[in-house]
Amino acid sequence: MKWLETPHDEGEHLLREGLEQARRRTGDEIMHRRVWGKVNDALARPKLRFSGRLALASAALVLLFAGGLFGFPRLAAYVASPDTTVATAPEVPASPAPPATSARTAPAFAEPQSATAEQAALLETERVPGHVVRTRGGERARVALGGGAEAELAENSVITWDRQRRPSIEQGNARLSVPRQPPGWRFSLTAGPYVVTVVGTKFEVHVANRTVGIGVTEGVVEVWRGGRSTRLVAGDSWTGPLYPDEARAASFAPSVRPRLHAPPLAKPAASAKAAPSASRGPQNARAALQSGDTGKAVEILTRTAQGSGPAAENAAYELGRIARYHLNRPRQAVALWDKYRIRFPSGLLRTEADLSIVDTLSSLGDVRAALTEAQAFLLRHPSSERRADVQKLVERLRATESAAGQR
Amino acid sequence: MASNQFTRTPLPNQAVLADAELVRACRAGDMTAWRGLYDRYAPLVHRFSAALGVPVEEREDAAQDIFIAVFRSLRHFRGEAQLSTWIYRIAARHAIRLGRRRRARDLMRLTMLKEKPPIAIDPSEHSTHVALLDRMLAKLPAKKRTVLVLFEIEGLSAKEISEVVGCPENTVWSRLHHARAEMVKAARRMVS
Repeated sequence: MKWLETPHDEGEHLLREGLEQARRRTGDEIMHRRVWGKVNDALARPKLRFSGRLALASAALVLLFAGGLFGFPRLAAYVASPDTTVATAPEVPASPAPPATSARTAPAFAEPQSATAEQAALLETERVPGHVVRTRGGERARVALGGGAEAELAENSVITWDRQRRPSIEQGNARLSVPRQPPGWRFSLTAGPYVVTVVGTKFEVHVANRTVGIGVTEGVVEVWRGGRSTRLVAGDSWTGPLYPDEARAASFAPSVRPRLHAPPLAKPAASAKAAPSASRGPQNARAALQSGDTGKAVEILTRTAQGSGPAAENAAYELGRIARYHLNRPRQAVALWDKYRIRFPSGLLRTEADLSIVDTLSSLGDVRAALTEAQAFLLRHPSSERRADVQKLVERLRATESAAGQR
Repeated sequence: MASNQFTRTPLPNQAVLADAELVRACRAGDMTAWRGLYDRYAPLVHRFSAALGVPVEEREDAAQDIFIAVFRSLRHFRGEAQLSTWIYRIAARHAIRLGRRRRARDLMRLTMLKEKPPIAIDPSEHSTHVALLDRMLAKLPAKKRTVLVLFEIEGLSAKEISEVVGCPENTVWSRLHHARAEMVKAARRMVS
């Protein structure tokens, strides 16, 4: 008899159900397509041979050696120097109560030219709750935040560490640089009542005049308060009230963001719900299709396609499939895939979209258009695994076209 | 055609090839065969990685690495074992390597005082049963877990499992016996 065929108790029943469901966990087709796109790309790149690897390793060794030769005397001189602070600038004091930290200082952000020229040394702090680093007028400090991240404090700025050991910008200006975090990791800091999370980026935080301001130079930043968030990309800036009461009342509503240059976002509650619903979009659409509710599926996919990222890309492509196979509107399907191509010219489903258009036009009997698309496919995807099939189709279409011409 | 939603555009002349023919065609550089091989084994790799504890957010990357390894070392595949057995072996090794990396990362996160990232949830895996099963599987030692997953979820025979994990058949039976006992015990504890 098979194990757990007749479960004896609740525990065995639970186990049996779990195993049964784990057997059906095969991933969704869209994910498989995405992975194939990446695998195909990786395979198209030639693998580095042993000689290539050897050359790379040798180059790295030479660089390391040269770096050591150049850097070691400088480091030794720096360590041997009795005063490691810059003589022209005063020392950065710590706040009176918590442990003090001194920093090498330089002029504030107001003088960008000299700031670049006189970059302050990176200050390694204790990063324990309550620790404070403060800059006075005319001072500037670079503070290490862990994980390769660093903050450049302008004059009259204060950074502390909260109970969760997160850096917190209390006052002034801080320019932050966070290297790309490993998959699944996020770097976060607080500014007033907001939590700012990033994966890897450069941005600036400003806390003054009852407001918290964030400007993004590179990458993507998310600003959270409670369960609500707003997403800023490079070039965006955002301002919110500093004090909790005002922040609660104003929340993320655009009216309290007069200096909002980011694209207008949906209401915070809606934006907080947007992420999970976007990721569930394809599943919900599939469920709607399976239950025969094509209209609902189209609605879900249209909404998902308006967003960004892989979910939007998949949804934009799937809309074409629904138009063709469920609504039996091949012309509309071609238009939708064309729209997909315009929006995602290098999308992972680009090959699929091109092929779908060729296939649909050919089934419609639009020989000329199908031939043009098929020839474009051969030019655009020279290493596609479908090349041979499309080549055959081109020959067939040419034969049809010439036969029609003779008649 | 209605049942074809969310599947890729079918190839006009895609015939169902046996594994050996597929491997031969792949070695000859036939991209259609490569895609065929991927389509045949992608669900298996996903299911196996998930059961071996690869988290949702890493599964795509894991599948990508596994298939690149499969395609790049296909020329070394001698055909003595089944192709699936060989792929299972690559996937199991990769999952164990990922697990080790994950543990090191967690340790580093502790030392660097980083905030724990939010746990990602695969929207297709809302079932409580499978989530509980994953929790129970996570407590099993890697060797027992691999054997249990291969036998109970993947449906391999003891002989095939012995080829995948590289141990005698008797050891497979013994690991399976202990793994089952531990799982039942854990499930009862969870229910009570």
